[in-house]
Amino acid sequence: MPQGDYIDLHRKRNGYRHDHFERKRKKEAREVHKRSQIAQKTLGIKGKMLTKKRYAEKALMKKTLAMHEESSSRRKVDDDVQEGAVPAYLLDRDSTTRAKVLSNTVKQKRKEKAGKWEVPLPKVRPVAEDEMFRVIRSGKRKTKQWKRMITKATFVGPSFTRKPPKYERFIRPSGLRFTKAHVTHPELKCTFNLEIIGVKKNPNGPMYTSLGVITKGTVIEVNVSELGLVTPAGKVVWGKYAQVTNNPENDGCINAVLLV
Amino acid sequence: MVQYNFKKITVVPTGKDFIDIILSRTQRQTPTVVHKGYAISRIRQFYMRKVKYTQQNFHDKLSTIIEEFPRLDDIHPFYGDLLHVLYNKDHYKLALGQINTARNLIGKIAKDYVKLLKYGDSLYRCKSLKVAALGRMCTVIKRVGPSLAYLEQIRQHMARLPSIDPNTRTILICGYPNVGKSSFINKITRADVDVQPYAFTTKSLFVGHTDYKYLRYQVIDTPGILDRPFEDRNIIEMCSITALAHLRASVLFFLDISGSCGYSVAQQAALFHSIKSLFMNKPLIIVCNKTDLQALEGISEDDMKLVMEMKAEAMKTLIGQGGEPTNDEGVLLTMSTLTEEGVIAVKNAACERLLDQRVELKMKSKKLNDCLNRFHVAMPKPRDQKERPPCIPEAVLEAKAKKAEQAAEKQKKLERDLENENGGAGVYSASLRKHYILANDEWKEDIMPEILDGHNVYDFVDPDILQRLEELEREEGMHQEHEADDFEMDGAELTPEEQEALAEIRKKKRLIVQQHRIKKSTAESRPTVPRKFDKDKQFTSERMGRQLSTLGLDPTLAINRARSKSRGRKRERSIDKGNQNGTDDMDVDGDQPNKKLRLRSRSLSRSRSRSKSRPPYEVLPGEGLKDSAQKKKAIKLAEKSHNKRNKDARKGEADRVIPTLRPKHLFSGKRSTGKTDRR
Repeated sequence: MPQGDYIDLHRKRNGYRHDHFERKRKKEAREVHKRSQIAQKTLGIKGKMLTKKRYAEKALMKKTLAMHEESSSRRKVDDDVQEGAVPAYLLDRDSTTRAKVLSNTVKQKRKEKAGKWEVPLPKVRPVAEDEMFRVIRSGKRKTKQWKRMITKATFVGPSFTRKPPKYERFIRPSGLRFTKAHVTHPELKCTFNLEIIGVKKNPNGPMYTSLGVITKGTVIEVNVSELGLVTPAGKVVWGKYAQVTNNPENDGCINAVLLV
Repeated sequence: MVQYNFKKITVVPTGKDFIDIILSRTQRQTPTVVHKGYAISRIRQFYMRKVKYTQQNFHDKLSTIIEEFPRLDDIHPFYGDLLHVLYNKDHYKLALGQINTARNLIGKIAKDYVKLLKYGDSLYRCKSLKVAALGRMCTVIKRVGPSLAYLEQIRQHMARLPSIDPNTRTILICGYPNVGKSSFINKITRADVDVQPYAFTTKSLFVGHTDYKYLRYQVIDTPGILDRPFEDRNIIEMCSITALAHLRASVLFFLDISGSCGYSVAQQAALFHSIKSLFMNKPLIIVCNKTDLQALEGISEDDMKLVMEMKAEAMKTLIGQGGEPTNDEGVLLTMSTLTEEGVIAVKNAACERLLDQRVELKMKSKKLNDCLNRFHVAMPKPRDQKERPPCIPEAVLEAKAKKAEQAAEKQKKLERDLENENGGAGVYSASLRKHYILANDEWKEDIMPEILDGHNVYDFVDPDILQRLEELEREEGMHQEHEADDFEMDGAELTPEEQEALAEIRKKKRLIVQQHRIKKSTAESRPTVPRKFDKDKQFTSERMGRQLSTLGLDPTLAINRARSKSRGRKRERSIDKGNQNGTDDMDVDGDQPNKKLRLRSRSLSRSRSRSKSRPPYEVLPGEGLKDSAQKKKAIKLAEKSHNKRNKDARKGEADRVIPTLRPKHLFSGKRSTGKTDRR
């Protein structure tokens, strides 16, 4: 025992108090009542946090109890139906399966032509123009109001240069320019921080697409070389589409779901 | 000197607690109320403040953690190695590094979100940005949670490490397990180390302190070391190896010659030889313990040979320090902790050797002035048997002898010697009056009274009293002579009555002179009022009457004359009036026909009986004015100099009136810029 462990040393030499164990047991028994008292008395935000914690504990306790009780109960066993299983009265018939196997690329090309995509968020709330743009007054007497500043997150690309300030109608503030997005793979269920290549389509209109505004529901193209995806032909996939699932101006980051 | 005390590190909270603490602090210490209708800049500022505050708190707490944990490269190598042995340097550094990155990340997050908050145009947007910022910071801390838990465990263990000072005098005890190291340290220090029959009872370093020659020594007890290759050693053994490697101490290598520890002498000797590289530059002493079971002389030949080998090694270290090669007593010692024989000898030997080594080193270094209290007088080694005593010349010897004689003669008997002769401190009380200087030596032992005739003697004691008495007597003597002369001159021509009168007069005169003298002596404390004004009112007409009657004369005429002289002329007239009516001073006159006269006389009589009021212009003696005209002028001047109160209800200073409210000369005329006419 190290030299500094005074408590343990004392216990080893002199043993415990004569009523130590009884007192310990009683104290632990009293804990329950004390906890409930505290839970009743705590107010405000602390009270809310405490109740949340307690509820989580209660739920966990119930689950474990249910699990323990599982073994003692009996229930009916239900077998899964096998693939291709057929009821007895159809056993004699031949079933024709018609399937048209198309390659993935062909499918994608068709979808692109149609302009229709299967996206996780098919409908989004429309964003009004006055919400999107803020009027900037300019001129010597601040009477001209033809300039607009974009109040949402934007993507501009690495080779972006502004128009001369005198002629610039839409101002994209650098504080709201994003280059990276947190993209979740829907099947792998893990999130990567990937670079944005460009804005494909903004559901609020083509003008916003051309401006590069990113709002909820926008389809963006991201650089997936990190993931190491490979086409069946053997080519390395480095760009894929993803749809934005949050409001980037409220959260300060772009969260997207990869469209596989 | 840095105290190697790791107890001062603040507690590292767990990840969850950390987050709770900081967030609740933000909630308490920053303003909480904000409404949709506030100015947008105010809303922005409100949320920016929260983000910044949280970041600041995280930064502070993480910085304290990083700074308080010791950096393994900055502390003494002994502690550096010890901590490495116990906690693994890499893990330790990694954990601290993670805390550091967390701190930087949080800083970056705060910066980004504060930048974004500037574009917030609604309360909802600013609020969500703030929530996002705080949430991200908390995730960073959650990720770093395991490192925090690890650091907390390390901190708890470090706080219980024994505080070993690597720079002071140290004695290290090493050897195989179970040879008696802990019993030895228990014997010489107050450290209560566990002593058990099984091996590896001591699992860590133990420290005790002992004294030798008024200096404090640290005694460090190490866990037993087994003879194994270096790489195979476990943590416990590594502790002792570390201590051996880094501490500048004298080493006591314990040997169990009885073999009751379970290891033979051969094994122990093998261990010795394997770690002898660690004993370089350290005073080494080989201690044979458990001699009660087996004496050193009684061991077998082979064992003896091994022991001698070890001794030879130990001697090498001795020579290396410049000691005398022939003195081998301090190298191999025997003792038994059970019977306690030889224990002190071992301790003394170890302390002595260490002290010598340290002193030598200090002498060689430039810090000699710091240890001037440990001089070493070098005696030359005798090269032959010839005696060479110190040489003192004859004259000096004679002078010394003479002085000694004189001192013996003049030996004053001190009071202390007297006291000792007569029974000691409690029995004998010294007579303090022996050396009093008095006129008569017989008075030395007299008892002086304190109270005499009801008076406190000390009140009347005056150091100059004899002098004063002499002076007085001289004066009186002179006066008597003077008196006698006067008497002789006039005595023949006078009748006995006249002589009597003369004697009376002379007596009176003497009394007066005496009184005067008394008054003169207390003149400083008395105000000097001229006799004319008679402060004490001694010189009344009654007194004069009394004195004259004692002389046998009729005083009435004299009294009247004196009284009349002190009255004013006017007063006299009115008195005559009153007297004409035949009334006395205090009687009420009811026969006065005129009320006015009556009142007047009454008031006059009253005033006469009470106080002597005089007209204001009447000049009293002592006022300093020449005559009544001067006094009148003085009164007039005095009255003029002060403002008499206006009791006539006439207009005063305050009842001012402005005849014209806007005089022309103030309201119109030329100004610096143009003209004005504001009337």
